[in-house]
Amino acid sequence: MKVQIGGTASVLVLLLIGGAYADGDVTRGEARFQDCAACHKLEAGANNVGPSLHDIFTRKAGTLEDFRYSPAMKRSGIVWTPEALEKFIADPQATVPANRMPYAGMANPSDRADLIAYLQKMTK
Amino acid sequence: MVTKLKEVDAVIVGLGWTGGILAKELTEAGLKVVALERGAPRSTDKDYSLPNIRDELRYVVRHDLMQNTARDTITIRNNPGQEALPMRRLGSFLPGEVVGGSGVHWSGHTWRWTDMEFKIRSNYEERYGKKFIPEDMTIQDWGITYAELEPYYDKFEYVAAVAGKAGNIKGQIQPGGNPFEAAREREYALPPLTPILASEMFSEAARNAGYHPFPRPSANATQPYTNPDGAKFGACQYCGYCQRFGCEANAKGSPHMTVIPIAMRNPNFELRTHSWVTKVLKDSDGKRVTGVAYTNLLNGEELEQPASMVLLCAYAINNVHLMLLSGIGEPYDPAAQKGIIGKNYCYQTGTGATLFFEGKFFNPFMSAGGSNATFDDFNVNWDFDRGPHNFVGAYNVSGGFNTALPIGYRPVPSGTPQWGSEWKRATAKWYQTAMTINAAGSVMANRYNCFDLDPTYRNAFGQPLMRMTFDYKTNEHKVGTHAAQVINDIAKSMNPTKLNPASARTDPWTVVPYQSTHNTGGTIMGTNPRDSALNKYLQSWDCHNLFVVGANVFPHNASYNPTGPVGALAYWTADAIKNRYLKNPQPLVPA
Repeated sequence: MKVQIGGTASVLVLLLIGGAYADGDVTRGEARFQDCAACHKLEAGANNVGPSLHDIFTRKAGTLEDFRYSPAMKRSGIVWTPEALEKFIADPQATVPANRMPYAGMANPSDRADLIAYLQKMTK
Repeated sequence: MVTKLKEVDAVIVGLGWTGGILAKELTEAGLKVVALERGAPRSTDKDYSLPNIRDELRYVVRHDLMQNTARDTITIRNNPGQEALPMRRLGSFLPGEVVGGSGVHWSGHTWRWTDMEFKIRSNYEERYGKKFIPEDMTIQDWGITYAELEPYYDKFEYVAAVAGKAGNIKGQIQPGGNPFEAAREREYALPPLTPILASEMFSEAARNAGYHPFPRPSANATQPYTNPDGAKFGACQYCGYCQRFGCEANAKGSPHMTVIPIAMRNPNFELRTHSWVTKVLKDSDGKRVTGVAYTNLLNGEELEQPASMVLLCAYAINNVHLMLLSGIGEPYDPAAQKGIIGKNYCYQTGTGATLFFEGKFFNPFMSAGGSNATFDDFNVNWDFDRGPHNFVGAYNVSGGFNTALPIGYRPVPSGTPQWGSEWKRATAKWYQTAMTINAAGSVMANRYNCFDLDPTYRNAFGQPLMRMTFDYKTNEHKVGTHAAQVINDIAKSMNPTKLNPASARTDPWTVVPYQSTHNTGGTIMGTNPRDSALNKYLQSWDCHNLFVVGANVFPHNASYNPTGPVGALAYWTADAIKNRYLKNPQPLVPA
């Protein structure tokens, strides 16, 4: 229990200083990715119900040519930094209203840090 | 000019749940399999995601995923004295026509039918005597047991991501589940859906009345899930578009995102869409089938696909139609009570109440396919004594919502005008305040309820339409009367502001409005060729290399939705073919 509390606190601190996600746990992040895996793949070009997440941290939202995005996502102006994705995944409809991703959000900050640590490793 | 193709090991007619399961299982066993599907290929990413989904006009009014009645339909009558007329527009039931079949647009309700059904005649005769069963009620034992099917129910539930709460694990009653269910080996694949306010209020009232409500088991993934075959499910978002829609979150267990893509990746498998099978072909002595004849709907080309084995996996009604068109087995004659093919067509019955609570906000647009609570005190509970009520069969009662569509679902108190400003005012006032309590009831087989070929009307291929003769009988009226009383007692105990009470239906069945896509029977399974079309492995008694899979094998219809036993029997048949039939291709049960 103590370990968990410490983990959460350190994540919050990291967020405040502008967020490396080095503290996120890649193994736990792989389990968190199960929330995404029915629709998103990590391989380049593998669009599914959702767009491929390959190289996500280098691109602007809504810009893969062969994926049909919602108008809301296309005009969001988001650049997918880890911080931007962390904010989006916490509450997708609040962050980009009228986007089409059928996902209610990942409430727990340490879960999100784990997920992003996993994505940082796996989407390159 | 018919093009004759190269022979394959098995041809599958229709690619929904049963065809998909058999395609996956048999290609993995090394067989070369071709599937012929009338409909188009559809997928979640291209077709069932926004903006192509949540469209009531397209999917509910125009039946985008359903059979096209301009090409083929059925004729309908209530009794043999009437002239049957074609159903020009779908209504009471909605057969799917797409890769994935009706498994794309179902709600996901998945039940285990038990020995109460499989041994129905024995059970009632033993307890109430032979005379309790009316003479024209042609119910019979199925020739299979719950114990035989249990592992296959389990298999299907884990493949389809069924969420629920077990009520009986290995004989131990589990709190929160259905205490009347047959023993299962383990818990459901996933925990039950989050209850909605309407189902919680119903559950409380039902418990106060002494009943045993539990969350309805449904193939709606309650959390991200990877099934035993590796198919990935997203979590249900309670978006409310379940029945009649494909699922945009890949949360509803459907063949197009589970068994079919696995078969598609296997080099042994080939799917041909837009392929309309017109006939199963037999060899000269009629003891074996040799393949199927079909038409490519895109160019009109006629083809013949020879195969060592034919598996009919179309919608239940269409499987029976193909048997009749192909002259396999003796057509049933209700007057002489001779023959088998077409016998024991059954449907379901039901009744319901709508309750209005001023000041409540039920948010009916937020629900999942199985967001109701249910109780089985008058269903699979054999302690419920049918004797004083003098009926055979049962009903389950549920409260809550599933797929209460934002446009189409318009509850108003009875007495409200059906159009105009008064209706508009009432629908705005009551929409948020309404909830329903419903009963779904069994229909027992009757000698006059059956299928045959229509003498007058023909489809786009010049073939006789299927003719359905069906009506509810006194037995079903008694089930409905009992159910309406139970529903109304619960409803009144909840003190609604207004109540549209349940009433037992006694009017003849009609093809409108929508009732349920639970059509059963016509090629029934059983213990011998005199009383059934198929043996317990769904193998034709007439042609041993023909298997007919689907709800068409049920000798009667229970109150439960049919997909549980449909899926379990498909896996059961797949195992029988893989483990026994391929080694020794002959009848698996001596005639």
